[in-house]
Amino acid sequence: MLQLGDQYLLRQLQETLDSDPDNPSHHYNLGLYLWESSEAMGDCVGQSAQLKERAAEHFMASAKLNPSNGAAFRFLGHYYSRVSVDAQRSAKCYQRAVTLDPFDSEAGEALCDMLDGDGKESLEIAVCKEASEKSPRAFWAFQRLGYLQVHQRKWSEAVPSLQHAIRGFPTCTDLWEALGLAYHRLGMFTAAIKSYGRAIELDNSRIFALLESGYIQLMLGSFRKGVEQFRCALELAPCNLSAHFGLASGLLGWSKDCIKSGAFVWAADLLREASEAAKTSTSLSGNLYSAWKLQGDIQIAYTSCFPWESERSGYDIDEELFKSSITNWKNTCHSAAKNAKLSYQRALHLAPWHANIYADIAISVDLIDFLEDRNKDSQEAWQLPERMALGGLLLEGVNKEFWVLLGSLASTNALKQHALIRGLELDLSLSEAWAFLGKLYRNLGEKQLANQAFDHARSIDPSLALPWAGMSANYQDGLCSANEAYESCLWAVQILPLAEFQVGLAALAVLSGQVQSPQVLGAIGQAVQRAPYSPESHNLHGLVCESRKDYQSAIMAYQRARCLLKIISNFKGDIKSCLVDVSVNLARSLCKAGRALDAVHECENLNEEGLLDAKSLQIYAVALWKLGQYNLALTMARKLAEDVSTMKHTSAAAALGLICTLTYNICGFNSVVTMIRKFPSECLRSSRMSLIVCALNALDRKNQLHSLLPSIPQTVVSHGMIIEMHSITAIGKMLQITGESNQALAVEKGVNYLRKALHMYPNSTLIRSHLGSLLLSSDDLMAPAKAARCAVVPTGHPCPINKGFRLPYEIHGAAAAACHSFCSAIPKFSFPTCNDELMHGARSLPLLQRRLHQEPWNQNARYLLILSILQKAREEKFPHQLCIILKHLILDAISREKFLRENKLSHSRSIILLLCASEISLQTGDFPGCIRYATDALNVLPTHSDLFFAHLQLCRAYAVQEDYSNLRNQYTNCLQIKTNHPIGWLLLKYLESRYSLQNNSDIIEENFRTCIASKGISANCWIANFELVSAQCYMWHQDYFRAEQALTRACAANTDSCLLLCHGAICMELARQQGGPQFVSRSISSLTKAQNNSPTLLPIVSLLLAQAEASFGAKAKWEKHLSLEWFAWPAEMRPAELYFQMHLLAKQPSTGSTQDRCIAYTQSSERWIQRAIHLNPSCLRYWRTLEMAVAS
Amino acid sequence: MKLAGLKSVENAHDESIWAAAWVPATDERPALLLTGSLDETVRMWRPDELAPVGSPCKGHALGVVSVAAHPSGAVAASSSIDGFIRVFDVDSYASIATLEASPSEVWSMQFDPKGTILAVAGGGGSTVKLWDTSTWQLVASFPVPRPDGAPPDKTGSSKFVLSVAWSPDGKRLACGSIDGTIAVFDVARAKFLHHLEGHNMPVRSMVFSPVDPRVLFTASDDTNIHMYDAEGKSLVGAMSGHSSWVLSVDASPDGTAIATGSSDRTVKLWDLSTRSAVQTMKNHSDQVWGVAFRPPGGSGVRVGRLASVSEDRSISLYDYS
Repeated sequence: MLQLGDQYLLRQLQETLDSDPDNPSHHYNLGLYLWESSEAMGDCVGQSAQLKERAAEHFMASAKLNPSNGAAFRFLGHYYSRVSVDAQRSAKCYQRAVTLDPFDSEAGEALCDMLDGDGKESLEIAVCKEASEKSPRAFWAFQRLGYLQVHQRKWSEAVPSLQHAIRGFPTCTDLWEALGLAYHRLGMFTAAIKSYGRAIELDNSRIFALLESGYIQLMLGSFRKGVEQFRCALELAPCNLSAHFGLASGLLGWSKDCIKSGAFVWAADLLREASEAAKTSTSLSGNLYSAWKLQGDIQIAYTSCFPWESERSGYDIDEELFKSSITNWKNTCHSAAKNAKLSYQRALHLAPWHANIYADIAISVDLIDFLEDRNKDSQEAWQLPERMALGGLLLEGVNKEFWVLLGSLASTNALKQHALIRGLELDLSLSEAWAFLGKLYRNLGEKQLANQAFDHARSIDPSLALPWAGMSANYQDGLCSANEAYESCLWAVQILPLAEFQVGLAALAVLSGQVQSPQVLGAIGQAVQRAPYSPESHNLHGLVCESRKDYQSAIMAYQRARCLLKIISNFKGDIKSCLVDVSVNLARSLCKAGRALDAVHECENLNEEGLLDAKSLQIYAVALWKLGQYNLALTMARKLAEDVSTMKHTSAAAALGLICTLTYNICGFNSVVTMIRKFPSECLRSSRMSLIVCALNALDRKNQLHSLLPSIPQTVVSHGMIIEMHSITAIGKMLQITGESNQALAVEKGVNYLRKALHMYPNSTLIRSHLGSLLLSSDDLMAPAKAARCAVVPTGHPCPINKGFRLPYEIHGAAAAACHSFCSAIPKFSFPTCNDELMHGARSLPLLQRRLHQEPWNQNARYLLILSILQKAREEKFPHQLCIILKHLILDAISREKFLRENKLSHSRSIILLLCASEISLQTGDFPGCIRYATDALNVLPTHSDLFFAHLQLCRAYAVQEDYSNLRNQYTNCLQIKTNHPIGWLLLKYLESRYSLQNNSDIIEENFRTCIASKGISANCWIANFELVSAQCYMWHQDYFRAEQALTRACAANTDSCLLLCHGAICMELARQQGGPQFVSRSISSLTKAQNNSPTLLPIVSLLLAQAEASFGAKAKWEKHLSLEWFAWPAEMRPAELYFQMHLLAKQPSTGSTQDRCIAYTQSSERWIQRAIHLNPSCLRYWRTLEMAVAS
Repeated sequence: MKLAGLKSVENAHDESIWAAAWVPATDERPALLLTGSLDETVRMWRPDELAPVGSPCKGHALGVVSVAAHPSGAVAASSSIDGFIRVFDVDSYASIATLEASPSEVWSMQFDPKGTILAVAGGGGSTVKLWDTSTWQLVASFPVPRPDGAPPDKTGSSKFVLSVAWSPDGKRLACGSIDGTIAVFDVARAKFLHHLEGHNMPVRSMVFSPVDPRVLFTASDDTNIHMYDAEGKSLVGAMSGHSSWVLSVDASPDGTAIATGSSDRTVKLWDLSTRSAVQTMKNHSDQVWGVAFRPPGGSGVRVGRLASVSEDRSISLYDYS
């Protein structure tokens, strides 16, 4: 039977043994070989047994010769256990093998299996212990031992064994599970979760580990994780009772967490799922009382969290729909409670010895009674809930909880008190009992006792909601302030979101002025969800919504409250006054929401019943006025006026203010003035009336009310109020001038007044904004800069309320956009001739971006940012990248403006934006685009005054394209439309001159003169600019004489150093051309003025002066001016010519003080020439001079 | 539960810092902090020493308003006022894509938890746009409807969308607008579900709880932080304590706390179990525009980190434990 190769091997082994028969290893080898070949043939039983017998002989021989060879004993053990069945011998052999070699897991396992089969557990443990003590690496023994210890529930011993075994078999799932179980039983939950987690990681089909870790998670309160585990388990075994049960209880726990945090919808969703799971578990096994109890618990929880959801449709509530939704809600709660009752009864039926189920039934019955509005005053001595609670107590009389339960369920106060006191006798620190006792005493009117009880409860357990709520009720007795009461009630609501507490919180919030806080909104929303049958909760919900300006929701809430008040059966208190209150609230909200007609209807209804009080009269009057029924409104106002004397101070002031406003709006200015003059002076003390008087006085040219103003005591009104009055007075000042000189608003007057006011109140943002706004609209050329200086940008905190004046950022943005100087923060682009450091467009760019970042929806901020970026692009000569972004921004802004096409502001913004787009197109060479945008701008609003500039832009576009006929047309358009912006005429003048559009005509100049006639103090500036432009135009035509004359006129109008420099330069040029010494002296005088007027050294001025002086031969002056010129240039911008001039200076023999010439003398004249050549190597003159210098 | 200041970098940018996000750790490097600023740059910082990583990343022409990091940690995106979104490789700063939108259409953005979609909210368009992250093409656009019964829209800008948040399971998308309402979308069905109401001023920042896909935290200019059940459409709780706008909110990875940054220059840490502020950090000298918890992951990173960035140009890093 043996193969040929095997035969050979066998023979060899046999021969080796024969050669040395006393060697145990030879015996062993042969035995092993025979044993293995017998195992290999397996199917042929007879022959294999024969081989094994032969093998056993050899093993025996080997063991005899070498008694320390464990392996031989192991095989012998195998032989005895499997071939010749002799348990005794086999066990001995195995025993021997294990003793000899504790690592021998095969022998060990076999031995233990044998012992296990015989039920000799203690022997088995002894074997494992012995092996494990012998070697720490006998992992099989540890494993076996661990399992056995787990089996024997010796958890603490099992843990180290299993831990040790895991070191040997780290991927054995069973070991991890067993370890988890041991930890679990020892109460080491996190360790248990980790072990189970490892088991699940190794094999995700381990239901045991999933379930056990799920239960531990539930016990630890991590319901979410537990639910996850149970869901996994259910996927593996959809019919596992334990998993369904666990899932249901996990979801129940989770939903209770949700209820505690106020998420009722969520809790209800979870409970629906839980109820399904519980149903499955009861259907899988109907005789498990705990499953029925769980189902009951779930239904009770569902009853206490199922939220009512409002039907949101239309503007008013549908009463029928609303009533039916309330009924539906009640039915759902009711049926859930009934189901709970049934489930609890089943549970009780299965296990009547469980006292707590009696208590559960009692609770469910009580809940059903509450939902059915059943009266407890029936004649029966014992109500059902009481009886059931007693049932629990009969079984477990020492359970304090049951006493508390009885106390809270009992129908009579005596029984309540008795039960609670019994509970306290059992445990004096039972906080719930104290709390209920407090509630009981409160209801009985024993305030002292109630407070004591609440204090006890609170000091024992501060996380109990009821005592806090009880404390807040002290407000009614005047024992604490509304704010304190609100705080304690808020605390109670945060601990337990119970509808009663939440309604109380909202009521206290209304009293303490906290009604806008989001906590109140959340609380009252939840109260409406949980107590939709209560008119009070709806009314308060309405008040909260109204305070948040959500009038639509408020109206619906009031309507609901009224609907409920009409149908309610057992309402405590005066239904009629409640109805009136709700109706007044409703009318007010309707009026605020702009539904004046409905508001009037409400008030008429009240009027018919004769219930119109001062509050509703005011609403009535306003609503009537809004409807245009002026006579009726005045009648109501008169009625109100009759009542004013009987009102409280604050409400009287409000009523008077309303009467004044109505009279002003209906009868006009004069009648209100006469009316106010009749008022007694103490009526005017309130801040509101003071403002009204102040505003009326500002409007009045005759100052009829002026005498009343001082009667307003400055001390009574607040700081902010005085500032506001100053602002109004400033407007008044501006208006009064209007009457006399028939001009536009006299801005200067207002500015002057506000300046004084600002001096008094330097930190008032209102005055600053007002002043800034006025300055921006004044004609002063420097006004934007002044405005920017007086507008302080608030750092960090958002801007205050906008009173219609420009905000600081707007002022800065406008100033940046209006900056007329060609200046830049980066000197490489231009010299800063701008006198004012503030007027850098670049500086306002981050400011505007910050503003836009704060209010990205603010179209005006976006617009100003675009203008600033355009300004920056202009300064940097329109770099390509910036143009792309700018175009992107502009096009977006234009498309956004299209939505807003309603107001005037948006129109003018659109036009400017289109012109900006046109300009960018022009600068990037997109001429058709340029023309298109400019044409679009023309179409925005055909009569707009800014359209001159659109035509002007078209002129420029056609000029660039050399389309002269169109250019001429647009030019004519410009002349026809005209503008009152002088800059427009200047630009047109350039075009006219450049393209010879009009010959020898002064049309533009005429227009310009009429335009600046109204410009006041800035007129001279504009004249100077105009003359400058004229001079430039003359220069284009080489007419230097007339250019010089124009510049002389310009300098006469404005002594700006740049103009003087121009004049000086042109005089020099004339002197050069014609050699008239009078020009040189004119030049000197202009340039000297320019030098004196400029705040910093201007380049070129000194150089020209030096040349002029040199032509008169004044060498000392020449030297002085030339050395000054050096400092006029920034280091990196000095031109080559300057170095060359320095060479001339350096060549002079040093006379006079060396201090003046120190710069020139720092280097040799050759050096200066070399540096000039280095800067401009293309100038032959420098080279020649260098040659000469070197030659000499 | 507490914060301990670890490190502050003054003048981290040349101008106000407006945005911050953590780039998740990869196998080669730890998580990095990504910041965007008015100085038109995006920079990255290595914790805990806040050492700058590489040179500042330029490429925007106006201030950077939002930054977002891909969950893989390899890619990030930044957007600026000019309306361009730059998508770049985190390790090389190399540009991957430039997404162009109207300037007012880009305000806040976030990658979905799987990293397949970039949601970009913003603007008067009142939309949330979804970009596919493999092709960088626009795949969907969810219009935000107006709430029922709201007054008719005259200004056209009243629904400017300011913030966007993905639920941790990637199924829901929430976006907040300036009128204080929050719209919730079902992403798979591309369907608007409902509005969450309660704020009456702009909602600038939102985050879903990392452990509860139903719970949404919102920060608003009305100085309050709200906690919504986003599925159940209800206001669950509210937290007040800031004295000015709340500009930013983030939830801790364990889901037990949230941090907020506010215009009142403080960073607050809130305990969700008591719904109260447990700590107030006052180390910034100007409004705090961004707070961000470091996401878990990376080798040996067990400790929690919170970063805050502010208008005062500084970055602060805190230890959260």
